[in-house]
Amino acid sequence: MKGYRKYFLNKLLWFLITFVCAFLLNFILPRLMPGDPVAAIVSRLAQGMSNTTGVQAIYQQYADLFGTNKPMVEQFFIYVRNVFRGDFGFSFAQYPRTVADVIKSSIVWTAALQFPAIIVGWLIGNTLGALAAYLKGGFDKVLMPVSIFVSNFPPFGMAVILMVIFGVSLKWFPTSGGYGFDLIPSFSWSFIWSVIVHYQLPFWSIVLIAIGGQAIGMRSMSIYELNADYVKYSRFMGIKDRKIVGYVFRNAMLPQITGLALSIGTMVGGALVAEIIFSYPGLGSTILTAVRGGDYPLISATTLIITIMVLIANFVIEISYGFIDPRIKAAQSD
Amino acid sequence: MSNPVMLEVKGLTTKYITRFREDVYAVDHVSLKVEEGKSLGIAGESGCGKSTLALSLMGYYFPPLHYTSGEIIIDGRNISRMDPDDIRRDILGTEISYIPQSAMNALNPTQKIISFIEDVVQAHEPSRTKKDIHDLARKSFEVLGLPAEVLQKYPVELSGGMKQRTVIATSVILSPKVLIADEPSSALDVTSQKMVIKMLKNLLEHGFTKSMIFITHELPLLYNVTDDIMVMYAGQIVEKGTAQEAVFDPLHPYSKGLMGSIIVPEYGLRDVELTAIPGVPPNLKNPPAGCRFAERCKYVRAECEANPVPLHDVGGGRAYRCILSERELRDFYTREAHMREAHQNAG
Repeated sequence: MKGYRKYFLNKLLWFLITFVCAFLLNFILPRLMPGDPVAAIVSRLAQGMSNTTGVQAIYQQYADLFGTNKPMVEQFFIYVRNVFRGDFGFSFAQYPRTVADVIKSSIVWTAALQFPAIIVGWLIGNTLGALAAYLKGGFDKVLMPVSIFVSNFPPFGMAVILMVIFGVSLKWFPTSGGYGFDLIPSFSWSFIWSVIVHYQLPFWSIVLIAIGGQAIGMRSMSIYELNADYVKYSRFMGIKDRKIVGYVFRNAMLPQITGLALSIGTMVGGALVAEIIFSYPGLGSTILTAVRGGDYPLISATTLIITIMVLIANFVIEISYGFIDPRIKAAQSD
Repeated sequence: MSNPVMLEVKGLTTKYITRFREDVYAVDHVSLKVEEGKSLGIAGESGCGKSTLALSLMGYYFPPLHYTSGEIIIDGRNISRMDPDDIRRDILGTEISYIPQSAMNALNPTQKIISFIEDVVQAHEPSRTKKDIHDLARKSFEVLGLPAEVLQKYPVELSGGMKQRTVIATSVILSPKVLIADEPSSALDVTSQKMVIKMLKNLLEHGFTKSMIFITHELPLLYNVTDDIMVMYAGQIVEKGTAQEAVFDPLHPYSKGLMGSIIVPEYGLRDVELTAIPGVPPNLKNPPAGCRFAERCKYVRAECEANPVPLHDVGGGRAYRCILSERELRDFYTREAHMREAHQNAG
């Protein structure tokens, strides 16, 4: 156990170092983008103004407000101080909304779209993969090529195909937005129904790809485990098939859990494509508009969320793996 | 001689069906008998069908291995026509038990030893409580010289030799009537091998199993462990006898060659030049019509390749599969021995 604690602390230290590096990059990289966001805001506000001093004054005011006229290093320390207070500042492009406010309104959409999609895709994919390995024959021969085909679609391709077939041709589902543009968010039936209908295409475009990938992985892991020596030995000791299948799928599942945790960690990044194509009001679309508008605080905050989620997911896998797989634990304690 | 027979096999034939639908008869009309308290060794080179025989003796077949004909009788009970599910519930692990070739990977890596033993026992005796099973496991591990802490460990925490001994102890947890050990020591270093062999010998003495079949390609090992030895070649038995007879006085040209190709560190075999058997075993997809060893045999005659050669019983449990008489064979062997001696003296 002592060796394990050492391993735990060692991992924690490395995750902290990674976090610091990522935090730095999150701050610096957006600010290295070409273009002056303040100038863009000012030019929008000052349309038609011919008074140069007036424009200059507006520029000065915004630069002071956002702190962009201070040296980069000073900006960074102000940023760090504010972040630790939980204050991400104002969104440049959507001023006077704060970053926290923008993220709060979009993260719900992303979480509601991604969590279920990842989990449903993972569950269906693993079940199908396990069945293909166990049943073999025709089921496997159909499922495998289909899974390979589907899982190799780029996400935007799948989204566009679903949009064209079910949105444009068949007109079963709307092609964009999180709810009807003529509705105001509320708990009315018509709004909820609209949300459900708008939900389908982005949801399935993520699920379908996930199913394929998970099914392929689970199938090969299960085949490997089904042919393991312990399966034969257990049979010859008279243990029932149902119990042996339990051993096999538990062991085959282990690497798949890593996949699940990683896709939850990277879910915001993964959401980008589906959300952008379907103009879904989630974090993905927010990141896109933030990047377009040179909205430093918003970019930094959203990328920080991704960083933290990936790190937490990885850390949780690392640590929990030791508890579910004695082999890993033995290796970690060394 | 009057001991009850624990395992009797009559004309057992099993085949592999390959993915191209070809039949490969890896075990061809094998008959054998093991009495209570006795052990039988099965020797042969790789691919001769000895591991397949081990699997076939369990009476439970799964693809690509298929049962063709013959009978397996365990302590008077014929299991060859039994329903596979019944065999699994009533026979495997309780009547006949198995130690796999690669015991290294024979244990589920994510399960503690005791939990696997619980599963084994409960598969046959569902009413047994955990506490009861734990007591049973602790007791047998203790008698077999394994520390009880092993039970609470995962396979990955055990050394190779310890893993193998754990598998052996697990295989006999329900005191089977027949134990089949398929090369249980081949993957181990010499020290661990010795411990495993000692343990296997103990099994019979302490009544953990009533009889044992030990399969290996290492003849010296068999000579030390088993009472009788059978030599297999290309799916058939070519020689049967006591350990002493099979090692020091083999009759079949193949067994003679096999014994000549290894070192048995017993008196009488020192300073013996090792000889190799030329050629390779026949492909069992299309076995030769006559003697299967004919192609590699020094004493081959035209008749050898015409018809299948029956197993020739010489009485006293001895048998060999050759058309030559015992006398003719012995004459050949004596003459060769003289020639070798003369050659050595000359050199």
